[in-house]
Amino acid sequence: MSRYLERVHHLSRVLQLQTEALVDRPIREIHFGWIRIYRSVNRIPPAGDIELIHDDDFTLADSYTLADDLTFESSNPDSLLSCFAMARENARQMRQCISAEMWTTLNLSHLRMRNLRIEDIWASSPETFYAQTSTEINTFIGVSGISMYRDQGWRFMQLGRFIERAQLLASLLLNQLQISQTIGDDNEADWTSLLRIYHAFDAYDSRYSVEVHPDQVLNLLATDPLLPNSLSNALGNVEDELALLPQGPDSQARDSAQHLAKSLNSLINDEWADTEDKYALLLSINQQCRELHYLVSNTYFEYSLDQS
Amino acid sequence: MDFKSYELDTSIYDEMFLPDGTPREHAQTLHDTLCQIPTEEIEHTQEQVSRSFLNEGISFIVYGDDEADERIIPIDSVPRIVSAEDWKHIETGLTQRLTTLNLLLEDIYNDARIIKDGVVPEDVIKECPQYRTQMQGFSAPQGKWVGICGTDIVRTNDGFRVLEDNLRVPSGVSYMIANRKAIKASMRRLYRSSRVEEVEHYGNLLLNTLQELAPTHAQSPPSIALLTPGTYNSAFYEHMFLAREIGAELVEGRDLIVKDDFVYVRTTTGLERIDVIYRRVDDEFIDPTVFLPDSMLGVPGLINAFREGNVTLVNAPGTGVADDKSVYAYVPDMTRYYLNEEPILSNVETYLCRRPEDLEYTLDNLDKLVVKRVGESGGYGMLVGPHSTPEEREDYAKEIRSDPADFISQPTLALSRAPCFIDGQFEPRHVDLRPFVLQGKSTRIVPGAFCRVALRRGSLVVNSSQGGGGKDLWVLKE
Repeated sequence: MSRYLERVHHLSRVLQLQTEALVDRPIREIHFGWIRIYRSVNRIPPAGDIELIHDDDFTLADSYTLADDLTFESSNPDSLLSCFAMARENARQMRQCISAEMWTTLNLSHLRMRNLRIEDIWASSPETFYAQTSTEINTFIGVSGISMYRDQGWRFMQLGRFIERAQLLASLLLNQLQISQTIGDDNEADWTSLLRIYHAFDAYDSRYSVEVHPDQVLNLLATDPLLPNSLSNALGNVEDELALLPQGPDSQARDSAQHLAKSLNSLINDEWADTEDKYALLLSINQQCRELHYLVSNTYFEYSLDQS
Repeated sequence: MDFKSYELDTSIYDEMFLPDGTPREHAQTLHDTLCQIPTEEIEHTQEQVSRSFLNEGISFIVYGDDEADERIIPIDSVPRIVSAEDWKHIETGLTQRLTTLNLLLEDIYNDARIIKDGVVPEDVIKECPQYRTQMQGFSAPQGKWVGICGTDIVRTNDGFRVLEDNLRVPSGVSYMIANRKAIKASMRRLYRSSRVEEVEHYGNLLLNTLQELAPTHAQSPPSIALLTPGTYNSAFYEHMFLAREIGAELVEGRDLIVKDDFVYVRTTTGLERIDVIYRRVDDEFIDPTVFLPDSMLGVPGLINAFREGNVTLVNAPGTGVADDKSVYAYVPDMTRYYLNEEPILSNVETYLCRRPEDLEYTLDNLDKLVVKRVGESGGYGMLVGPHSTPEEREDYAKEIRSDPADFISQPTLALSRAPCFIDGQFEPRHVDLRPFVLQGKSTRIVPGAFCRVALRRGSLVVNSSQGGGGKDLWVLKE
């Protein structure tokens, strides 16, 4: 459940920024934004490649189709609607483990989204819709924080959320790097939008300056443990949550998971600064996060009965 | 609001009004209060109640041709009132009835005295598809094969009658509690002034009952799990709700394992022993080594663990024989036989088409009778004679003739009616009630029931899958 909701949170923030850009940003920047989103979620756009055509009407029409695909397309397992539905289904299956308030908050959001279509949100202000969706996830997190018993269920929920966050951020950053390198253009606006997606603009401003430099943005989002949405923060939380989980039926499997979490943290805290090839490092983090997910699942849920 | 347009039919018992149109004494407060509430406020209450069900996801699943549809049950906001005196009668009648049925089950799977003594014909029991030969020679903990029962009761001009005993995996208790919660929240003053018996402690009573039925060498306190077929089951909401109410693990078959005839649940820290399983999985699916071999919902070895006394299954497999529609006809005789008492709650007169004279009567009077298949439930596969066409009766008669033992018939009952808020006014609709009886070392019944309503005008079918709805039932304090 928490992984799906983290995905909703991430995508709604990204789409909020992307639809805001439709109002006044250059077509090149909008085009770059869509490519970055699609590559980071590893999905092929509905019409194949996203074309760069310097025409406002075309860009708006194209954006409408792409936003619909990422928001309401039920055949897209990563659309907001699909992720919400899956999160709600997961919550339904474990309703006895979460608080009643959490269920109601999630169910209300699901019901709201289920009744909407792209034309409903596009007619007025799509960015408001995405902002509201993001706020609803924040509300859910807040409601969880004050109403859920801090048992194993809570720990697993937190763990899932932070693994997903690290994986999504690594994916977005490595795609940002890759696309910038491919088109040979490190546009400041593209990096600024990354800061805004992760509520990191003020932190950047106070740590560096108002001038945006790609390497500093990358460093901040990857390594600053004080930034709540940084890789460092997410991976630190992953390690802490894993340490608080029970032994599990197979102590070796649990040790492997903890070892992997430590090694992920070491990539950011020890190796990042000296590594030239940040792309490769981010790719490795992304892959190891996926590996960690399966390791945790096999350790605590899908274990062989011979181990117990 | 008033009841000026309320169509009172003096031939049918009305839950609120006497035949002369004046409110019954115990319904006076409700009547007077409803008369003082503006229409808009009742509309608002109705809306609030439905919304609370939607928001909380209190739903059931209907399976159509293409995909499952998650729906909320339509709830009428006007409560049905039952006097303390009437409830006392129902309560003693239900205790007597479930005691009888538990004695029957213990008997037919062991000595079968009731058959030998000629009270119930052997073929009625042994040919019933719900009779489980696998359970022969088994004695249930405390002799309680049925720990949880939901009995459908109707009121006619002649009093209360039992329509059906649900002894396998009775559902609806979560609606009773959810209805109460929603109505309480939206009719606060009326509720307070009406002195209504509480129902929300059902979870405690259920827990006490399940603990009492635990094996003698169970852990202290016994560990309890609720076995669900899974999230796609139509009653999954209820399974989750009850697991939460009693603090039990909600498990599916794949979460359980039997080792050395003990049952364990897979947890994040390894396997943990389970003493009592409140099972909401039908007999056929519960253990593939004993019943359907390809069942994916059950647990291999579970029945053996039960027979060895290492785990208690509530209700026990094989209880369905006692709620079979043919066996039902013999319950009054069983009560006399086992308890030497006259039945407190009457049955509905029942014709068993397996008997030639009953078959002839049924076929001659199809237009007046309700005919049911013995193995069906939920309002499926039945013919309501007075509401059927000649063609439908002709087709149905052919089916009856092809397998008479599969059918029973009953007179069309004038089910009592209660006021419902429909299209901005009060209209009478037919109702029944399903109270829930718990039997461990003692019998426990919460003073309330899931009250089902046939929301379609003139309809007698109250099942939610057939257009029925629900309403809260208020048992008044003495």
